[in-house]
Amino acid sequence: MNRTGASAAEPSSGSGDGTGARRNSKRPKYSRFTQQELPACKPILTPQWVISVFTFVGIIFVPIGVAALLASNHVVEIIDRYETACVPPNMTDDKIGYIQNPTIDKTCTRILKVPKDMDSPIYVYYQLDNFYQNHRRYVKSRNDQQLRDRSKANDTSGCDPEKTTSDGTPIVPCGLIAWSLFNDTYNFTRGNGEALKVNKNDISWKSDRDHKFGSDVFPRNFQNGTLIGGGTLDSNKPLSEQEDLIVWMRTAALPTFRKLYGRIEVDLKVNDTIMVTLKNNYNTYSFGGKKKLVLSTTSWLGGKNDFLGIAYLSIGGLCFFLATVFTVVYLVKPRKLGDPSYLSWNRNAAAQ
Amino acid sequence: MSVHWDRYRATAGPGDGDCLSLKGSSFRDGGLRQIASQTVRLGRLQPQHPGHRTIFCNDREANLLVRFKGNSVSTTKYNIFTFLPKGLFEQFRRVANLYFLMISILSTTPISPVHPITNVVPLSLVLLVSLVKEAFEDWKRLQSDMAINNTPVEVLQDQRWETIPWKKLQVGDIVRVKQDSFFPADLLFLASTNPDGICYIETSNLDGETNLKIRKALERTWDYMLPEKASKLKGEIQCEQPNNSLYTFTGNLIIDDQILPVSPNQLLLRGCSLRNSDYIVGAIIFTGHETKVMMNSMNVPSKRSTLERKLDKLILALFVALFFMCLIGAIGSGVFISRKYFYLGLTGHVEEQFNPSNRFVVSILTMFTLLTLYSTIIPISLYVSIEMIKFIQCAQFINKDLHMYHAESNTPALARTSNLNEELGQVEYIFSDKTGTLTRNLMEFFKCSIGGEVYGTRVTEIERGIAQRNGVKIDETRSATVIQEKGFNFDDPRLMCGAWRNERNPEICMEFFRCLAVCHTVLPEGGESPEKITYQAASPDEAALVTAAKNFGFFFYRRTPTSIMVRESNIEDMGNVQDATYEILNVLEFNSTRKRQSVVCRYPNGRLVLYCKGADIVIYERLAVDASDNIKNLTREHLEQFGSAGLRTLCLAYRELSIEFYDKWNEKFIQAKSSLCDREKKLDEVAELVEKDLILIGCTAIEDKLQDGVPLCIETLSRAGIKIWVLTGDKMETAINIAYACSLINNSMKQFIISSETDAIREVEDNRGDPVQTARVIKNSVRQDLDRYLQEAQLLLRSTDGPRLALVIDGKCLMHALDPSLRVSLLKLSLNCSSVVCCRVSPLQKAQVTSLVKKGARKITLSIGDGANDVSMIQAAHVGVGMSGLEGMQAVMASDFAIAQFRFLTDLLLVHGRWSYLRLCKVITYFFYKNLTFTLTQFWFTFQTGFSGQRFYDDWFQSLYNVIFTALPVIIVGLFDKDVSALISKKYPELYKEGIRNMFFKWRVVAIWAFFSVYQSLVIYNITLVSSQNGHNSSGKIFGQWNVSTMAFTCVVVTVNLRLLMACNSITKWHHMSVWGSILAWFVFIFIYSGIMTPWDRNRKMYILLFVLMSTFYFYVSLFLIPVVALLGDFVFQGVQRLLFPYDYQIVQEMHRHDIEESRSDLLEVGNHMTPDEARSFALARLPREQSKHTGFAFDSPGFESFFASQQGIFAPQKPWDVVRRASAKSKHKRSKA
Repeated sequence: MNRTGASAAEPSSGSGDGTGARRNSKRPKYSRFTQQELPACKPILTPQWVISVFTFVGIIFVPIGVAALLASNHVVEIIDRYETACVPPNMTDDKIGYIQNPTIDKTCTRILKVPKDMDSPIYVYYQLDNFYQNHRRYVKSRNDQQLRDRSKANDTSGCDPEKTTSDGTPIVPCGLIAWSLFNDTYNFTRGNGEALKVNKNDISWKSDRDHKFGSDVFPRNFQNGTLIGGGTLDSNKPLSEQEDLIVWMRTAALPTFRKLYGRIEVDLKVNDTIMVTLKNNYNTYSFGGKKKLVLSTTSWLGGKNDFLGIAYLSIGGLCFFLATVFTVVYLVKPRKLGDPSYLSWNRNAAAQ
Repeated sequence: MSVHWDRYRATAGPGDGDCLSLKGSSFRDGGLRQIASQTVRLGRLQPQHPGHRTIFCNDREANLLVRFKGNSVSTTKYNIFTFLPKGLFEQFRRVANLYFLMISILSTTPISPVHPITNVVPLSLVLLVSLVKEAFEDWKRLQSDMAINNTPVEVLQDQRWETIPWKKLQVGDIVRVKQDSFFPADLLFLASTNPDGICYIETSNLDGETNLKIRKALERTWDYMLPEKASKLKGEIQCEQPNNSLYTFTGNLIIDDQILPVSPNQLLLRGCSLRNSDYIVGAIIFTGHETKVMMNSMNVPSKRSTLERKLDKLILALFVALFFMCLIGAIGSGVFISRKYFYLGLTGHVEEQFNPSNRFVVSILTMFTLLTLYSTIIPISLYVSIEMIKFIQCAQFINKDLHMYHAESNTPALARTSNLNEELGQVEYIFSDKTGTLTRNLMEFFKCSIGGEVYGTRVTEIERGIAQRNGVKIDETRSATVIQEKGFNFDDPRLMCGAWRNERNPEICMEFFRCLAVCHTVLPEGGESPEKITYQAASPDEAALVTAAKNFGFFFYRRTPTSIMVRESNIEDMGNVQDATYEILNVLEFNSTRKRQSVVCRYPNGRLVLYCKGADIVIYERLAVDASDNIKNLTREHLEQFGSAGLRTLCLAYRELSIEFYDKWNEKFIQAKSSLCDREKKLDEVAELVEKDLILIGCTAIEDKLQDGVPLCIETLSRAGIKIWVLTGDKMETAINIAYACSLINNSMKQFIISSETDAIREVEDNRGDPVQTARVIKNSVRQDLDRYLQEAQLLLRSTDGPRLALVIDGKCLMHALDPSLRVSLLKLSLNCSSVVCCRVSPLQKAQVTSLVKKGARKITLSIGDGANDVSMIQAAHVGVGMSGLEGMQAVMASDFAIAQFRFLTDLLLVHGRWSYLRLCKVITYFFYKNLTFTLTQFWFTFQTGFSGQRFYDDWFQSLYNVIFTALPVIIVGLFDKDVSALISKKYPELYKEGIRNMFFKWRVVAIWAFFSVYQSLVIYNITLVSSQNGHNSSGKIFGQWNVSTMAFTCVVVTVNLRLLMACNSITKWHHMSVWGSILAWFVFIFIYSGIMTPWDRNRKMYILLFVLMSTFYFYVSLFLIPVVALLGDFVFQGVQRLLFPYDYQIVQEMHRHDIEESRSDLLEVGNHMTPDEARSFALARLPREQSKHTGFAFDSPGFESFFASQQGIFAPQKPWDVVRRASAKSKHKRSKA
């Protein structure tokens, strides 16, 4: 084509009359953009690159995995499932009847054993199962204006079906979420009879307390509706101090979730026994949900969570493995880089 | 003319009296009623036109009553009021947009889990971009309309010529049009500065023909030239209603109670321009949109690319996927809903969607809920992104590519539609016209043979090519005498400068030159000196021959109706010049059956000679028996020699006539000429009587120059797996010659020839003459040929290294082969051939062949041509390419892309087409992937919300995902991604085959993307959720749903953007900027969004959320882990694919991995450094434009017949393609106007 040959052409003729023509020329202007010659890096995924990337990822991931796993292992966690055990033996066939009968005393005692030293603070969680806090009907059944602003107490829009009491006065806080507030309570005593104080302050995110729940908004008509769902609130405390409610109302993403109940700010020693006196008030029997009590310490990464560590480690390992596999494949069936005989038309020609 | 005229008068005769009397009264009253009745009266003249218009010349008040349309034209689609409704309507014709409109409406109902914003924002952004684009395009149209409407023209007002813009013209106005300007409306030609009231017009805008046409004013109006005189004109024109037929017109001009019939010969159409006449004066008949050219303008049917049609299927598949996802969710919701979940408050009054007592309704309503929730699976911004990408590709890359800029004609490439870029990357069949497309349409006198002696030392490309193949080096020396002129590329010292007198037989040389100078139908123009003159010829061949005669010293400088004047030099002795006048007694016209042309001329000394030139077959048949066999044989040898060198030949012969013989013959001739029926046939018969016993002079060889680089281009394209078919109106030999010349056919190929020129067929044609019988015979022979060749072809293909096949078929056989019964075999045979040549085909057949392959074989086709006869073919193919830079615009106007040279096809297809295809495939599959990935994370969440349709992401996340966080990078990839450089694309044309096989947009490719999309969505969703279950910092606090979803969304955005980077072949800074910019945009957005509290944020769920999230280590650890894990699968796949199953382009990339991409800017100053040959053609291109062109073998020009014919008052027969075009225009344009 002439463009390759053009460099050979002598730069002489035509420039004279060319200038005149150039004025009216429709010749496009040269720019790297329009000629599609922008400088670019052209990575080619050669086997060497693949192997190095895998090795590199492996080298990065394994230490992170080890660190994460160590952190997780450092965390001591005690989990106690109690919803079945706390039903009196005579009521096991009618758990719903048991939980819905207000006359039956719901107190239940559990003995926990500390497997390892637990440094304070020890976090107390309750874990519910099969509880769809993320159900669409449930999620939207709240009114954030009302929660924050005293003047909006009558604003119960979106709170169906727990808007008002039967006589039409608005409920504060309204909606299904608040209505179904978890109301089991836990009291801890050490084996030696020493009561363990549970600190229930600062269990919610500060931003929630400061911005989402008003300090001058007080519960009104709560649990005064036709049905009583869950816990009650002290109508003398503003919502911003009702931390159990605040925690509860930060709805969970999955139907199995933990929520922070409080902190035990005492170190626990290995083999300590802890007696938990709990009030088994909350009805999970209707929908077959489990209830668990969790005591846990934390690390820099948070609670006990082997998953991340294992994920990092296994991905790191997988990368090393893939690097090896690629090396083997490359050695066993090497393909010379840029070998023209691999071009399909050459292959076809060779095949014939 | 006069014959014609009288006939009209005769028919008008009986009614004359009535008309006259009525006319008087109507002029006196001038009422509308009278006009109407008068119209009816005069209607008797043309009973075939019941509705016609009456125009009062030069009388605006009288015309006012009828309210003719103004002369301003508008080609805009919208005006300021219709823009919004019409533009929106256009937008909502797209399924995706309509779907989103419906979803948006649905999302305002309580059924919807999402705020309407989620769907309204992307939809309105998409609509906004589209509407802005529409408005911009319409604005440009408006501007060009305004430019046209404001062109000045001189109109007669108060006895003076006033200059007013075109748009102010009205029907009935008298206008004066200057030379070289365009006619502002359809005019009735009244007077001209030329004697005889004629003018020349160029009609290239109408039909692409650039030979001048002659129009002649009615004798009665010749003197309306000066304003004083013209203002006295008070005529009345009655004519047909506006219609779109370019070649017909009937009407009457009534001046001073005289009825003068008006024919198309007096009609000057808008769009034509005036040539060779200083001024003409005309009266406006049709204006603005009622002009014939406007009524003819048809919207080029908009073509959609194959890729886009496949994209529709993909979208359909997405809809199906969407349906099933919704169905699963809907069934789940019906099953899940139960009163046992007391916390959902399902006792008492419950809205229908959650009412456990009617699970069916729950399912149905949830179905709709999910439909709105998963709407992101349909990539709403895909179409607008593709549109933008293609638009920029066209406007910035194709139109501005310096490699497709042709310096000689100063023409850059032009993409006329932006729909078909990627189609260019998949073309498998190219249908090419020959003349003007493969060749330059530049005929040059190259060689000749006189009296058995070959003259001419130049060597053709083909000869050079053959010599090169044989390893012979040809050196060509140029003598100092060489003359460079358009049409003349001949060099031989033996003939030039009068040297011929020293040749063996100067007499015969002289006859040769005289024959060239006298026997033609060329018009001289310019001045009467050899330097100034330009020849106006029907075909460039003729011009070349006359130019040759000029250079040999026989300068034809003037033509009068009865004579030709030749300035002859060097006849008696050197330097002697004498003017000779040859009286032209008879012209025996050329036509395609005669294949020859003769003139009978009388020398100044009374000698009567018949000069004849024509195709060798017809001349040889008519040579005198006793003429020397030696010359005949030698000349025949030379003819063959010329033919194989790719030259076009004509034989020259002459015959002395005795006066007695001539007189006798002339009588018959006059009789035949004035006969009213079968005139053509009779003339032919008479001609036969005199065109015999000819004496052969010699032959000429004209080079139909191939365009630069055509053979190389064709070779490159065929290596790219593209099959090239040549469809030409030329005769078979010429077509085969050219096919050889362009290396379409070579001697190692097996040729199948299906020709109607066999003895058997000719015999039938001659003997029986019965068309039905003849057709049957031809059809049978075609059938036999096809069957035989097909068997042979299959046999040859089965053998491993059989020869490549070529098919040559002529138009007549093609007509029968296209018959439904034979079509299948034709298709089978031709698909097996690597090249096909169809010769003698009509424009309609060109289109038929194209659609045969397009529809029959379902292959992607491209048609390329330059003339009006290629229009149908260009429109029939998937992609139409017109040759620009030439005179005719018809092909370009119908085309999708216009390039100046055939060789630019390499760049257009192999570079732009291939890249566009790759890019579009990448863009589409990536769009598909990113939306699927995003939507699937949402889908997995549905399973864990009791199928309630709770949204996983915030409304704004979802609505901005497509239009902000992932929009730009994919557009950048659509613009900049390239696997290999342009140079390498052309070096390895085979890479193009990947496009033909559609390697990058197969269902397999889509399935792989889909697979990894599922994988990634599972990784992102599950890892995020599983790892978020516990407390996440040392304070032990727990995340809520929105924290988790923000985490997941961050991972999605990072992952899909990085995935794009992985898919890139070349990464420019724009890639980096857009990819990292998009990720950054997300973070900026979420920082702001969670940092401020807005009144619209209904539940403040997002407030401070990000800061909480970012205060944990968990965030960083996950953010690092998840994208890596998600992309690991793709990475492994890419690695394995490249190592074990590499694509061709990947190998080529590897081969050239160390190349530094050289900037070609230094090579681009091609225009400045020209080789002598280039300089020559450049200089030729800069000569004053000669208005001639056209197709085919020397006299085959379709324009030819009309040129002289119209002078004699014979209307040119309508050409078949006009009929076709008009028919198609009519059917496409259902016009409401009558």
